[in-house]
Amino acid sequence: MALLRAIGRALEHLGNRGFPHSTRFVKEYVLPLWRWYLAGTLTVLLTNWLSVLVPTLMADALDTMRAGEPGAAADALKIGVLGLSIIVVRTLSRVWFFTPGRLAESQLRERFFSKLVRLQPSFYARYPTGDLLSRATSDMSFARALAGFAFMQAFNVVGTLVMGVGKMLSLSPALTLTVAVPCAVAYWGVSRATPQLMARQRVAQKQLGALADELLSTFQGVATVQGFCAEDQFIARLDAKAADLRESNLAMTKLRVAAFPLLTVAGGVATWGLLAFGAPAVRSGQLSAGQLAAFIALVGFIVIPMRMLGWLLPVFQRAEASLERIWLVVDEAVDRPDAGIAKVPPASGPTLTFTNLRFAFGDAPDRPVLDGVTATIPGGSTVGVYGPVGSGKSTLLRLLSRLVNPPPGTIFVDGVDIRELDLNLWRQQLCVVAQTPFLFSESVQENIGFGASREAVMAAARAAALGPDLETLPAGLDTVVGERGITLSGGQRQRVALARGLLRPASLVLLDDVLSAVDHKTEHELLDTLRARSEATRIVVSHRMSALVHTDLILVLDGGRLVDQGPHAELVLRPGPYRDAWETQRESEAAAAEATA
Amino acid sequence: MSPKPTPEAESRAWTWGSLVPYMRPDAKWYALALVLTPAVAALNVAQPRLLKAVIDAHVTGGSPEGLQRDAGYFLAAVVGAFLMEGVYTYVTALAAENTILRLRHALVRQVLSLSQRFFEGQPTGQLMSRATSDIDALNDALTSGSISLALDVLTMVGVLVSMFLLDWKLALVLCLLGPPIAGVIEFARRRMRSLFAEIRDSLASLNAYVAERVAGIEVIQLYGLELRVTERFAELNARYRDSNVTNNFYDAGLYAFIDGIASVCIAVMLYWGATSGSEPALIVGLVVAFNGYIDQLFRPLREISGKITFIQRAATALDKIFWLLGVDDRITAGDRGLAEAKGHLRIRDLRFRYRDDAPWILDGIDLEVQPGEVVAVVGRTGAGKSTLVRLLARVHDGYQGNIEVDGVELSRLRPQDIRRAVGTVRQEVQLFRDTLRFNVTLDDPSLDPARVQAAVAQSGLDRIAARLPEGMGHVIRDRGSDLSAGEGQIVSLARTLARDPALVILDEATASVDPVSERLLQEAIERLFVDRTCLVIAHRLSTITRADRIVVLHAGKVAEVGSHAELLERDGMYAALYREGLQAGGELEPAPTTPKPGAA
Repeated sequence: MALLRAIGRALEHLGNRGFPHSTRFVKEYVLPLWRWYLAGTLTVLLTNWLSVLVPTLMADALDTMRAGEPGAAADALKIGVLGLSIIVVRTLSRVWFFTPGRLAESQLRERFFSKLVRLQPSFYARYPTGDLLSRATSDMSFARALAGFAFMQAFNVVGTLVMGVGKMLSLSPALTLTVAVPCAVAYWGVSRATPQLMARQRVAQKQLGALADELLSTFQGVATVQGFCAEDQFIARLDAKAADLRESNLAMTKLRVAAFPLLTVAGGVATWGLLAFGAPAVRSGQLSAGQLAAFIALVGFIVIPMRMLGWLLPVFQRAEASLERIWLVVDEAVDRPDAGIAKVPPASGPTLTFTNLRFAFGDAPDRPVLDGVTATIPGGSTVGVYGPVGSGKSTLLRLLSRLVNPPPGTIFVDGVDIRELDLNLWRQQLCVVAQTPFLFSESVQENIGFGASREAVMAAARAAALGPDLETLPAGLDTVVGERGITLSGGQRQRVALARGLLRPASLVLLDDVLSAVDHKTEHELLDTLRARSEATRIVVSHRMSALVHTDLILVLDGGRLVDQGPHAELVLRPGPYRDAWETQRESEAAAAEATA
Repeated sequence: MSPKPTPEAESRAWTWGSLVPYMRPDAKWYALALVLTPAVAALNVAQPRLLKAVIDAHVTGGSPEGLQRDAGYFLAAVVGAFLMEGVYTYVTALAAENTILRLRHALVRQVLSLSQRFFEGQPTGQLMSRATSDIDALNDALTSGSISLALDVLTMVGVLVSMFLLDWKLALVLCLLGPPIAGVIEFARRRMRSLFAEIRDSLASLNAYVAERVAGIEVIQLYGLELRVTERFAELNARYRDSNVTNNFYDAGLYAFIDGIASVCIAVMLYWGATSGSEPALIVGLVVAFNGYIDQLFRPLREISGKITFIQRAATALDKIFWLLGVDDRITAGDRGLAEAKGHLRIRDLRFRYRDDAPWILDGIDLEVQPGEVVAVVGRTGAGKSTLVRLLARVHDGYQGNIEVDGVELSRLRPQDIRRAVGTVRQEVQLFRDTLRFNVTLDDPSLDPARVQAAVAQSGLDRIAARLPEGMGHVIRDRGSDLSAGEGQIVSLARTLARDPALVILDEATASVDPVSERLLQEAIERLFVDRTCLVIAHRLSTITRADRIVVLHAGKVAEVGSHAELLERDGMYAALYREGLQAGGELEPAPTTPKPGAA
């Protein structure tokens, strides 16, 4: 435990010195796995110790042989046992670092995802999907490289250098210098090239991203590309991006070729130095021939971890940058004003009251989407919302479903501020069907029921007029719809989404221009189904007047303001946008008749 | 219906030789690399021998004469190998980059040639993996894998020969260790190969899952599915983690084995030296040289596990890439040209169904559109309207009966001529993240700028562009999220009109759009009808009433044909559709300001 506290203090120090995000990762995910890492560290150091023993024993064996004494065979056997032990211990050392690395990664990824699905739509408006995906994948893998590979190599490099150089010093400080000088020069060269390489790599990474974007949009637009015989143009665009990437990759290769073999060359130069200065030392008896041989073997032993050293710092830097991107999402606040209040919403058609509702999105606080809306929607009624695009209709629905939370004291459900309702219970009361339905690439059953029974799903599908469609699908309810439901028609997709909503005993039904993709007959059927749910309060947003005529009350929105309200019969009698729309429609009816007369 | 991408289940549809066409243009670079390979290998093999010579002469031999010269030879070999290996590595990378550029090019061209049916069974994410990570895997295999593997193998052979020349008995003893070492490596390699496939698969499903949940986040939240999806995610995440943990065990074991076995070799060597009574004066030089050789044998062996990994990954990736390259699910392109596109369309007894055991979607349609005529097709959901459009747009093949464009069967026409003759405006608008201008022209060099200008004006896109600060240079955001549905349709219309097709197939979007773009669309359609042959899948009454003729589809057959007035008088299916629209009271859109002359 004292050790843990010491590590904690060391981390504190590191955290203040430019690696705050990695430090946090280590505290929250790596330290709890300390048993793995402790075992891993001990085995790494043990491996290094065993590996340094080999040249020592070899020197002994050689000198005994040269002296014609017995005992070399025993040394040889010891080296053999060491070799076999190294296999076991090094395997364990790697497994005991890499496994917790994977565990930490998977725990962090799970936390990331569970946060992601709880974050409100305003968060998603700020981050493109591709960006979130790369945080969940490539950034995670950099975090894992830190927790597994980098930590192991850090101990391995330090252990090898300390023990290897220590051994050299004990043999001959002067010859150690002939090894140290070329290695230091080479390391200096490598460490200068590494940042350049990393900078190049970032450019290449961006170019790779651009290429992937272009590929994605080409593949997604393939129908258009083919339909307009535009294959050549799109391929040319892709080729240009691929060529950029090729240039960067080749520039990186040049750097690599020039810099990274330097340490190998340094090993050769060091060996040359050992020969040039060591041979006279052996002649003068300062060093045995066996010890010189061991020295040459040790050069090989320390060059490998030095090569690793060049890679370690960039791994730490990448992990730091990646973890910053991950924490940004993990730390994002979930907008849950009901936390700690969590009132239970009413179970049957609630009365909704809007009190001077003003709402603007965070990125444009001066442009309210809804402005001063005051209205009451009686419990159990059917209310239409009419208005042109941008009038705030959809936003009103999003506020009611609390995909976006309204300001306090503006929307009341049976007299209770909607913000104080337990969000999960509230959403169970809702049947929300969006204008553009989203389907998952799973079975129709799963898309409607999300785990509900087959009978319930079937009933909901029938209620949503999906029955005849199911018969034409290859496997009925078990048909797996393509990506985003691509194998279904627009109308079918919308009816699946409607069935999804109808499955719940909702007390508040919110339909956002749902009926736009069906013909009139189907529209009537669906409206009848909804009317049958007399216990619920229903809000229907539409610019199709047919959907509004039979509602109890219509709210007319324009530019975020409630400009009029009343039943259809009243609204058509007084001047305003609703009557204008109605008139236009009447004229069109007449004109059509005239045109065809 | 669509072929499933399960290359694992099939026999391999490729060999490494399949790559040759993609490598051939860089034959000179590959050749240079191959020529340099033995040179680099020779310099590497020479080093321990030069080292031994110095030790024998000047360390154990004790001669001070010529030490600097002999040590200098060794240094020269070290520096020479560095320089040549540099050139070798760069040339290899250059050749490999060029090769994958060609392969990716071929892959994209292939994907773009496949039929829509193929794409319905193929998530975009999988195609992306083919063109990105799988291609990258090949790059790794070419640069860090196969060619440097050749250098490794050559070096190892050279080392073995040199060892035998130095002391064949000791070399023979060490060689006895070869088969067990190779056996262990092969065992690990096999286990890891199957694990790689599992890792790739589990990562792909994990990524696809995240991508789809992010896209459908609102549904997840509205339906309280957070826990359900998190649990499912945890399963996928654990599968990916566990397959990696298992793989790490073999990976670590293989690495450690090669590390430790080098020491075992030293042990064998010394034991041999101690017990076989070899010359003590030469033993130091011999051990140092053999030590160097064992390092040269094992350094590549240690990396070989990594390089084999690259090659295995590439093999798995190439399975998928060549499977995709071999897919032949495409609409056969005809070879007939069309002298002059007039826009005459004749459909005779057209039948189509999606599968052989499925019901007929189109069940004997006869329809003719004369040049200059506007024909509206109406019908209930499921009447076959969308399928008809898909056949005319050559999205689906395999129809029975005839579709003749200016007297030539559609399936026999060249794609470029089809495009010239028939322009399709599809319901689903596809926009690219580029400028409005690009979205209209798609960079087609054959387009007449004046024609593009006219199309932009005719579709009303000029008025949308006028409202944007960059005009036609406005860059559309991801999937057109900054344009309204109606504006997207206008872009789509402009795109078709810019090609000046003789016949326009317009699949009117059913979704209602905002009033501003609705008016623009109405006006555009009005202009379209005046000077062009059109077949319109119509949903708006205003569109229908402007047509010269109305065709009512029902259950894959033509149920009624006639003008609006005629059909109303007949009081059949059309009249029923029309009344539903009127009674509902909402469908009718703003009236035509000037009824089409001649329609009355």
